[in-house]
Amino acid sequence: MTEAASDVAVRGARRWLTPLLWGGLLLGACLGMQHLEGLFRLVETDSRSVIYARADFLTLLGRHLLVVGVAALAAVVIGVGAAVAVTRRAGRDFLPLVAQLASIGQTFPPVAVLALAVPVLGFGTLPIIVALLLYGLLPIVRNTLAGLQGIDPGVREAARGMGMTSGQLLRQVELPLAAPVILAGIRTSVTINIATAAIGATVGASNLGDPIISGIVNGNTAYVLQGALLIGLLALTVDSVFARLQPAASTG
Amino acid sequence: MIELIHVTKRFGETTAVDDISLRVERGELCVLVGTSGCGKSTTLRMINRLIEHSDGEIHIDGQQIREFREESLRRRMGYAIQSTGLFPHWTVERNIGLVPRLLKWPQARIRERVEELMAMLGLPMGEFAGKYPRQLSGGQAQRVGVARALAADPDILLMDEPFGALDPITRETLQEELRDLQSRLQKTIVFVTHDMDEALRLADRLVVMDQGRIKQQGHPLELLREPADDFVESLLGGEDRGLKEAALLSVSERMLPLSPRLLPRERVSQHASLREALSIMLWRHAERLAVVDDEDMPVGELSLRKLVGAKAHD
Amino acid sequence: MSVGGIKAIVSRDASRPNVVLVSLLLATLAGWLGLDAVSVAPNRIVPGQGHAAWDVAGLPGLAISLLPMLAVLWLAWRPSRERLRLALALVVVMLAALPAWLALAAARLVDADLPQARMGVGAGAWVALFLLLLAMIELRTRLSLSRPLGWSLLLAPLVSLVAWLTFGLEPLALRQEFQGRSAGFIAAIGEHLLLVGAAVGISLVLGVCLALTMRRWERVRTLGFAVLNFLQTIPSLALFGLLLAPLAWLSAHVGWLAALGVSGIGWAPALLALVGYSLLPMVRNTYVALDEVDPGVIDAARGMGMSRAQVFRQVRLPLALPVILEGVRITTVQAIGLTAVAALIGAGGLGTFIFQGLGQAAMDLVLLGALPILVMALVADALLGALTDLLRPGGAT
Repeated sequence: MTEAASDVAVRGARRWLTPLLWGGLLLGACLGMQHLEGLFRLVETDSRSVIYARADFLTLLGRHLLVVGVAALAAVVIGVGAAVAVTRRAGRDFLPLVAQLASIGQTFPPVAVLALAVPVLGFGTLPIIVALLLYGLLPIVRNTLAGLQGIDPGVREAARGMGMTSGQLLRQVELPLAAPVILAGIRTSVTINIATAAIGATVGASNLGDPIISGIVNGNTAYVLQGALLIGLLALTVDSVFARLQPAASTG
Repeated sequence: MIELIHVTKRFGETTAVDDISLRVERGELCVLVGTSGCGKSTTLRMINRLIEHSDGEIHIDGQQIREFREESLRRRMGYAIQSTGLFPHWTVERNIGLVPRLLKWPQARIRERVEELMAMLGLPMGEFAGKYPRQLSGGQAQRVGVARALAADPDILLMDEPFGALDPITRETLQEELRDLQSRLQKTIVFVTHDMDEALRLADRLVVMDQGRIKQQGHPLELLREPADDFVESLLGGEDRGLKEAALLSVSERMLPLSPRLLPRERVSQHASLREALSIMLWRHAERLAVVDDEDMPVGELSLRKLVGAKAHD
Repeated sequence: MSVGGIKAIVSRDASRPNVVLVSLLLATLAGWLGLDAVSVAPNRIVPGQGHAAWDVAGLPGLAISLLPMLAVLWLAWRPSRERLRLALALVVVMLAALPAWLALAAARLVDADLPQARMGVGAGAWVALFLLLLAMIELRTRLSLSRPLGWSLLLAPLVSLVAWLTFGLEPLALRQEFQGRSAGFIAAIGEHLLLVGAAVGISLVLGVCLALTMRRWERVRTLGFAVLNFLQTIPSLALFGLLLAPLAWLSAHVGWLAALGVSGIGWAPALLALVGYSLLPMVRNTYVALDEVDPGVIDAARGMGMSRAQVFRQVRLPLALPVILEGVRITTVQAIGLTAVAALIGAGGLGTFIFQGLGQAAMDLVLLGALPILVMALVADALLGALTDLLRPGGAT
């Protein structure tokens, strides 16, 4: 029995191996960047300092995650909520408009959305969160709609015919069946937002985009590389987490 | 018992069901039949309020269906549809246990009931309980659908072309099983189909619908013998009606007692239909058949004259 | 599936109010009355002074501006087809009147003696514009107008905008920013389009070749998709940054590359990264398109005696074309946005204005960069979408 249990544990660990690996690399890179000074010296020979020092990398990572996380959380709640609302009887009238808006909105470049948020909301972290939230809503709304509309009408009819209430239908049938598609939307949303948040460093947010921007401004390639490396690792870590979650959600 | 009294359903300008009255007695299997768009499915779905009727009254055991909460009304009735509507993310066991769980039965009782139903429908628990719907064949999935409809032991069963998507052999097997089930469980069943053979095979009461109205209703034999109009007649098969009627009558109804004459070589079971008997005669070039019982003992004989002429003496 | 759902809803009875239109118009009213419609500043540096809608033309002017909104509200209450058509006409009129109204505001509020004085478009006007556009989309859907017809509705507002921008909207801050750098603006648009065009062109050729190779060799497929997926995951800013060092090294050590203008910053890393990003949607769509042609059709074609090459050229490719074009559409829209980011590494284009504007806290300069990018993305999306519809066998759906 212990053998079986350890077998399950091993398989679980193996499933999470890739995210753990990327995450470990990310944390290692954050903590151990100064030890790579010699390496960066090779790239950037003329500058006095080759390790970005205005803020601790771990702090930058934390802020990046916070901004993306808050925006993603809000986007999931609002996006899934909105898509569910417009597929109910009461909100049906709004479905065509919301569906069109979600598909038109996705042609808006994220940078443009970020840039347009600044005149309205000003500089700093809040406008970035709002811009990320707005932009991140679109793939989530779109995928939730697709997921809900992709459910076999017979399943819905049978559920109602068996006497499920609308709430039971939504929680036990519709959302679980749409979950893989919704999750794919969240994945797209978060991937875009990690990238857009980095650009947010130009509008006064301090995050992993900072070393890149200040490296470009000051002509310090080493800074740029450090920022790029960390953002790349962050994106890969988060993406691999989603890649693990997805098949798990589909078998429910 | 289900009773529809002057029930009408309008969708905007169009009238889908037009002033129909119908009474299905307890333990009766009532088949609604008609071309697509004739309102038969709408009628069925009004009974469990998936569609609300516009006018008239619908009663279940003497009580208006609008007096029930929608969900509790539906939980009292089984519901099986052509696409099965099995939840693809649930196992067979969980799917069958759906309504008992909605009714908050204790876990042990649900499991017991699921086991009983699976046995009844020929789905061995060990093999099928953990399977997901996509791992089932069409016939198996439909059996699970029927099991799910029967799970909370409802008095009423609503079935909307449940066997429509199956191959002919599986369909016939499931029809047999349904008849068998019905004779044992005595459910009140409303069954919608567009397949006339299926309708004749299953129905205690046959209801022919066209353009939202009931054209004729009664025992299948009544309709076959005295169709109300051309529409009913052509729907029942026109010139084919003779064979259809023969399929509903059993050999024992027409056989003659054993006579002193030499017993014919070809034999037919006393439970066979006249249609089967006719087929044997055609195939064997025989004008007379020996009728045998379950033990293969002769109990009578059937002549071609008696078989075909019987109608004149009726 | 979703189209069917929408159609079913559109053909609903007209006795119920159109709640969507009603809520949009109520929100427009609230925004128009509650938020600043314009802001006026004596020069570029001073923050503007906000003015509400009634400051512009007094209460009578406000009342006139409210009339069409109320009329649409009234029409939406009993939404028969005729009334919705009328509402659509009113919405188009309102959109076309907005620039004229801004010109009026400019004439009345901006001091003509101050050449530096400028007027910014305020939240109220933006909100009204956005919500009226939504109302137009909603009406277009309800009336199930065709796509070209829907787009042509924008013609009147656009003509009005251009006309008023040319005569009468001189104090508009956006126009002043443009005036100051009209040559640079045109050049930036050129650079932007060039980069996008080059990236899409290269990735189209490469993508189709790659997809064809993948169809033949299983291993290339697995590896190719793994690499492209990996690339797509890396954020743009990071990829630009990661390309910086190796390209700088190359230009320093390989003479002819440096002569070509390749360096760590500028167009080279931008183009490289853009092609990298564009390959995934392109390859994926091409591969899927070629792979998902109905096997029955291919079978029939071969059964009739067509050769492999004939089947490919005459059957598989034409049937796959719309889906391949869909890939081009996705790629183009994506590249237009990414090129804006590439301005950060000195690739030029409209992104330059955005980041300059953000650096100087000059919001109208940001708009001068962001708005054309937005328009470019929408137009590219619409044009390529229309082309896809045109090429779809059996015509537009």
